[in-house]
Amino acid sequence: MPEDLPLDFDTKVKVTIYRVTAESGTPPSIEAVAAKMRATLAAIKESYARLRASRLLLLEADGVTIRMAPPFSGVPTQHRVTVDGREYYANCAWDALGIPAALHRPGVVHSRCEQSLEPLRLEVGVSGPEPSTWLFHCLVPAARWWDDLVFT
Amino acid sequence: MLFFRSEELIAAWCKARGVTPRPIVRMDQLWRLAVTWYGTRLEPVSRRPAAEEMRSIFESIGLTGEFWDPRADSFNQVSR
Repeated sequence: MPEDLPLDFDTKVKVTIYRVTAESGTPPSIEAVAAKMRATLAAIKESYARLRASRLLLLEADGVTIRMAPPFSGVPTQHRVTVDGREYYANCAWDALGIPAALHRPGVVHSRCEQSLEPLRLEVGVSGPEPSTWLFHCLVPAARWWDDLVFT
Repeated sequence: MLFFRSEELIAAWCKARGVTPRPIVRMDQLWRLAVTWYGTRLEPVSRRPAAEEMRSIFESIGLTGEFWDPRADSFNQVSR
C-alpha cells in the first residue's frame, strides 16, 4: 500500500495492538487501544470481531481481551522470548521464532522439550536461529490449525 | 506446536498419548515459516498466506504431503 493512502480503521486498530505489544511485551487492554485510537470501546470491540474473523486476533470469551495476537500471547506460556531486554510470551514453538521474526531483532527463545522437560535456550539472530538439533512437532494438520488454535 | 530434543522423545511423547507422530520440522525450516508468517506482522499491510501459497511455502522447505496441505481450510482470503 502506498504511504500516502489513508489506513482503514481496522488496520489502524491492528497496528496499534501490535505496536503496543511490541513496546510493552503484552497485548494492550481494549481501553488502552480505544484511548490511543481516540475511539469508543464499542467501535474497537466491533473492529476486534472483524480482526478475529480475519484470523489476526484470538479473543477471550468476553470479546475484548486479547488471548493471542500471533505470534504474541496475552497469557504466560512455556515459550518465553527475550528481545532487547523485554520479555514476550509466544503461543507455541512456531510463534517463539515468530517474535524475533516479527520484531526484526535478535532474541533468545526459552522453552523446553515437551517430553524430557529439558530446557531450551536458543539464540535467534536477524537471519535465523543458531545451529540447533532441536526439533518442532505439531499434531494438528495444517487444514485444521484454526479449528482450535489454543490446542494447536 | 512444541519443541523436542530428539525424534526419540517425540515418539515417546506420542506413544504416551496414543497419538500418531506427525512430520518433524528442523529449526531452519521453522525459521522460514516464522519469517513467512510474521515478518510483516507489525506493518500496516501484512497478510496471512493464502492456502495455495501456504502449500507452496511448505513444499519449498521440504514439507510435503497431506499433513501440510491447507486447502481444506476455508480461509484463503488476504488479510491485513
